[in-house]
Amino acid sequence: MSDGIPPILAGDAQWRRLDARMLLVHPVQEAVRFLPALLVVFVNGRSNGRSPWWDLGFLAAIVVVGMMRWFTTRYRIWGGQIELRQGLLNRRLLMTPADRVRTVDVTAPIWHRALGLAKVEIGTAGGGPREHRIVLDALAAPVAAELRGELLHRLTQARADQQPAPDGSVVQEDAEQVLVALDPTWIRYAPLTTSGLVSAAAIWGFSAQYVEQADDLQEKVEGAVDRVAALGVGLAVVAGLLAALLLVSLLAVSGYVLTYWGFRLTRHTGGTLHTRRGLLTARATSLEEKRIRGVEIGRPLGLRLAGAGRLSAVTTGLGHEGTQGGSAWLTPPAPGEVVTRTAVSVIGDEPAVVGPITRHGRAARRRRYTRASVPAVLVCAATVWGATRVDLPAFLVVAGCLPVVFAPMLAADRYAALGHAVTPAHFVVRSGSFSQRRDALSRDGIIGVTIRESFFQRRAGVVTLTATTAAGRQRYHAVDLPVEVSTPLAAELLPGPFADLCGADLHPGGAAAEVSQAGNAVAADL
Amino acid sequence: MTVPALPRLREPANLVCPRARWLWLIGGIGQAVVLAGLQVGWWFIDRRDARGPHVVVAIVVGVLVLGYLIVMPIWRYRVHRWEVTATAVYTQTGWLTQERRIAPLSRVQTVDLTRGPIAQLLRLATVRVTTASAAGHLVIHGLDRDHAAVLVERLTAAAAAERGDAT
Repeated sequence: MSDGIPPILAGDAQWRRLDARMLLVHPVQEAVRFLPALLVVFVNGRSNGRSPWWDLGFLAAIVVVGMMRWFTTRYRIWGGQIELRQGLLNRRLLMTPADRVRTVDVTAPIWHRALGLAKVEIGTAGGGPREHRIVLDALAAPVAAELRGELLHRLTQARADQQPAPDGSVVQEDAEQVLVALDPTWIRYAPLTTSGLVSAAAIWGFSAQYVEQADDLQEKVEGAVDRVAALGVGLAVVAGLLAALLLVSLLAVSGYVLTYWGFRLTRHTGGTLHTRRGLLTARATSLEEKRIRGVEIGRPLGLRLAGAGRLSAVTTGLGHEGTQGGSAWLTPPAPGEVVTRTAVSVIGDEPAVVGPITRHGRAARRRRYTRASVPAVLVCAATVWGATRVDLPAFLVVAGCLPVVFAPMLAADRYAALGHAVTPAHFVVRSGSFSQRRDALSRDGIIGVTIRESFFQRRAGVVTLTATTAAGRQRYHAVDLPVEVSTPLAAELLPGPFADLCGADLHPGGAAAEVSQAGNAVAADL
Repeated sequence: MTVPALPRLREPANLVCPRARWLWLIGGIGQAVVLAGLQVGWWFIDRRDARGPHVVVAIVVGVLVLGYLIVMPIWRYRVHRWEVTATAVYTQTGWLTQERRIAPLSRVQTVDLTRGPIAQLLRLATVRVTTASAAGHLVIHGLDRDHAAVLVERLTAAAAAERGDAT
């Protein structure tokens, strides 16, 4: 498409196709998807002496299926609506008003980049399931950038209508402020995350399938193990651990580079945050600031020990729960002060990010200890009992009893993290040890409160208070809150409804009023 | 049990329909039947001659299940409560683990009424109120069918009166 085209949103009623270069990409993608089936057909054909034309025919069918995707997908942006029509047998039409667009994600996997294409994913209000996202896979990179600019410019425009813009600044990429730019020295944090471990496990699982069949390889591996074992078991274990550590670190570092290379978080005058990242797959995400309901500061154990953390936004419209498939990341694993500064700058509420936290008290502490110790003691008892019955190796018994030593440390750390706070704008909860999080949730975004007490919690006089929201993880827990704290807290979070549900109870000396109200209820309170 | 002299959230005002106990009892019997099926399966699969373990397990499970079937519906009936105020929907559910949920009427998105086969026999209905949060729905089990219909109408009217997308 030429540069002279009219703005896409104001565009005509014409249905457009995806970029024609996708005729090259779709068949390749389909072929990769059907690779196992292709291999089966090929191997089967060779062993049966079937004509190779069959294989070619099968391949051609896949290519045709891939190309059909291009022919059957059309979109248009017209009359304030984004419409996407897909499918040949299973037709579907997706429609969304352009002013409900909350996020725009532009992704370019490596073969898209090679051909100058980019995929556009449009998230809409409501944060519904993934099917509600509109995915245009793919457009020419300039068209994708223009579309993103215009969808977000529209947001700018909507705001400018309410308060007239000082000048005729209509271009979307004006006045951008860089909040975070990746510092290559942050790569040192990569081995402290679990991502290396995860990729190592994935590679292990993947290769194990093939190694099992390759007997000669197995012999080689066993030979190597024998040679190392000849050096002595202790040395072999140390060497193995070092090798594993090195491998995992290398994987983590390469993962970090692939994912976060060139990471930049910028703020635009239109009230949007943009992130860009990725070495091979380039990703650009735009979040509407109005839709951000808070931030999540993650401090997993490894990063915490190094004084680092990572930040993601709690927002509606990204379609996934949790960290929303990486779209909501606001920083890579980075030094603590960068995370804090960015968080403050995004939500503009410093006490919510660094302010003091209210602890949950003795019952909560006791519960941390029992919950950490009881399983550890049970496992230890089971191994010791096992050792008396059958001949267990000594190191197994030691390994089984090791958790008993670490359980109190875990419990102490978990209790130290546990807490909540309420600022004028945010509800803050913090918890966890291995994966510690501090979530600051905008109080405007709270759409309900759940107070849950298990049998044991009831005996300990604590409850778990959950604030529900349409953004991010959908639920944010304050665990093991003393019951007498929970009602005033809930009332603070949902002031309107609580006026009816507690009335005078909230004020000191309100217990009498509670009794009389409970008396009105059909059954007596216990 | 001592009641602390500090403010506590009061219980929702309304009990559910007394027939809900039968609904929970029948549900419990259904679970008991599954357990009994497992027991019978074990009887036939076990190749050993000794039938002692079977009898012991059957007695223990039987006593526990009987206790469950007697206690659970009554306990649930005492816990399950609901209320709709001018501004909020408020429910209390559970038995061993209890949960109170509060959602402002302004955040209500959909109101569903469902009736399973057993609930239909007992002239009961379940009202489910959803909000924009995946974690924020409220369910009122075991309401009288006619009351439920009135409640749904009231909630729908309240939800429709609110503007905005309730997120």
